[in-house]
Amino acid sequence: MLKVEHVTKYYGDLCAVNDLSFDVADGEIFGLLGLNGAGKTTTFRMIMGLIDDYTGSILLDGKKIDYSVTDQIGFLTEERSLLTKMTVLDQIKYYGVLKGMPEDSIEKKLDYWLERFDIKDYKNKKIKELSKGNQQKIQFISSIIHEPKLLILDEPFSGLDPINVELFKQTILELKNKGTSIIFSSHRMEHVEMFCEKLVVLVKGKSVINGYLKDIKEEYRKKNIIICGDIDTKKLKNVKGVIDITKNGDNYLVKIEDKKYVNNVFKAISKCDNITKFSVEDASLNEIFIEKVGETYEK
Amino acid sequence: MKNKLKFLTKISLNKKIKTKWFAIANIIILVAIVCLVNADSLVKFFGGDFDNTTDILVIDNTEEQIYDEFKSTYEQASSYLEDTTKANITLYEDSEEKAKEEVKEENKVLLILEDDNTNFIKASLISNSGVDVLISQIITSSLNSVKSNIALNYYNITPDKLAVIDKSVTIEKIKLDDSQSNDETMELLMGVAFPIIILPFFMLTLFLVQMIGAEINEEKTTRGMEIIISNVSPKVHFFSKLLASNIFVILQGIILIVDVVIALIIRMATTGVNNISSMVETAGLGDVITTLNSSGILNNLIYIIPLTLILMLLTLVAYSLVAGILASMTTNIEDYQQVQTPIVIISLIGYYLAMMAVMFDGSLFIRILSYVPFISALLSPALLILGQISIIDVIISTIILIISIILLFKYGLRIYKVGILNYSSTGLWKKMFKAVRNQ
Repeated sequence: MLKVEHVTKYYGDLCAVNDLSFDVADGEIFGLLGLNGAGKTTTFRMIMGLIDDYTGSILLDGKKIDYSVTDQIGFLTEERSLLTKMTVLDQIKYYGVLKGMPEDSIEKKLDYWLERFDIKDYKNKKIKELSKGNQQKIQFISSIIHEPKLLILDEPFSGLDPINVELFKQTILELKNKGTSIIFSSHRMEHVEMFCEKLVVLVKGKSVINGYLKDIKEEYRKKNIIICGDIDTKKLKNVKGVIDITKNGDNYLVKIEDKKYVNNVFKAISKCDNITKFSVEDASLNEIFIEKVGETYEK
Repeated sequence: MKNKLKFLTKISLNKKIKTKWFAIANIIILVAIVCLVNADSLVKFFGGDFDNTTDILVIDNTEEQIYDEFKSTYEQASSYLEDTTKANITLYEDSEEKAKEEVKEENKVLLILEDDNTNFIKASLISNSGVDVLISQIITSSLNSVKSNIALNYYNITPDKLAVIDKSVTIEKIKLDDSQSNDETMELLMGVAFPIIILPFFMLTLFLVQMIGAEINEEKTTRGMEIIISNVSPKVHFFSKLLASNIFVILQGIILIVDVVIALIIRMATTGVNNISSMVETAGLGDVITTLNSSGILNNLIYIIPLTLILMLLTLVAYSLVAGILASMTTNIEDYQQVQTPIVIISLIGYYLAMMAVMFDGSLFIRILSYVPFISALLSPALLILGQISIIDVIISTIILIISIILLFKYGLRIYKVGILNYSSTGLWKKMFKAVRNQ
């Protein structure tokens, strides 16, 4: 279990991370979100033990992060972390041994993962000869080859086609089910929604949203109503509580200020023809993110 | 951590050695050294394939008929030049016009010899498009020789008398301070020391600086450095780079020595000379060995060789420390190329000072410069061989160098720890100075 408590990090006068606290249980996927420069990389670096001049504490299974603990962490960086002149085998061996694996045990495990990701023919190819998607697969393998207790995934689906995204998703869920704690970071909110039970949204180093996704959505007052049918949008816009109406294919998406205005909308459309769908849904994480991050930036 | 250091060093070394370019470069170096050591045999070998015989037609209009004497003098002089000026000399009986036609059509050379009232003989050298400079000189010297003989007979001077007249005055050069070698000896010694010791060391130093910078920057240009440093300390990482690069450079130095040995073995096989002393003689190094012996350097080699080697190895460590520190501060290889320029210039200063060492006999300034780290390994061996500094001076240089390495390591490691994960050049020097001040 990873426990981050009241962590603050300054670069000179700049506060990169401000009193950040969260924990990631075994077998849990945790989302760490934020705009560029929000403090995510600094947080990852502190968890990886690359930065130690911060206040607060970061503990993995109750132990302070040091070189005896970092062997149990896997890190898939957003940017390329592979040495392109190396072959796939040499690269995985390189990082594997650094993570404390016996050199002779690595190749067998690599064979398994190469087979799994359908790239077994690339074992002795140089990294630079591989496509971006295949490089991402190798980068992913390098972060999980030592079966880490904590896995940090920063934009893991970058450069992948939809089929390989699915393959990655399955693997991530398998790792979660095996008890690996996973920190997931992405700008694609639909991916975060799909994986993360808990999350933190950072803005200028400070967490503006922190908790279980379900609770966050519930606490967020604005709701979406999806309606299918012939509705008078001009009339509906004047209904109290309606913020906006957009058409999406055959459906209309009606945003309302609060759950209590659902009845107003229902009454307004009940006289319309051909209504085949009326569904009240929580706002998407993307909407919540944009609103919360935007609000904090304005402040 | 020890195992990780060993592993990192192994990986770093393998990256340098297990490449086709390492093999190709060393094959080229081997071929170049073999060619250099066997240059005379090669010249002879290729020289034999060229048909460079020149046809010289001689029209002898002199009263004494000097053709035969000229021909034998020319052939004798030409034989000293190992047939590079081989000529087919024939007496031409026909007319001058016909001879000129042959010269024009068959690219021959025509030499017309005639009597001269004041200078015994005069000659005309006719060719279509010029005569080889060396052949022209031998013709001139041969004719001068023939003319001298005619003149000696005319004035009744015997060759013995002429030899006495021509003999140079003997000047015996005596130096009261025996420890000081003379200029010629010094030049000869530097002629040996420079290509054997200083030049290869200088090249290896530059190679080392380049290599460390390239390797560290390769890892730094990716986020791979974060993965590495999260699992091994910057100190271990730094050590592994230093170890791997220095082992590689030493290995390369050993390969160079092996190349020279191979070249000498090939020389033995091709020249038929099968012992070292004879080979030294055939290579024209006999004088050098005699000079080294007479200057007393050979007797002191037991001290000079280990001291020089220690100084050189320590200097390689010092250069690699500086290169590693600078590479950690830069964010890409282009920046490193710029920042490493001062090291190259310092090394170059040492190189030129060593090259010109023979000119600085007795200079206190040069003696002090020989203590300066980074320069000392290039300058000290040169000055030591020339007898301008003593073994004590080399020991002082070594001690200063060791102190510099300790300081570089102590403060450099602080910079390395900060620099290695720094991806921005903004406020770089501020960050580095702050790192040096912090414990």
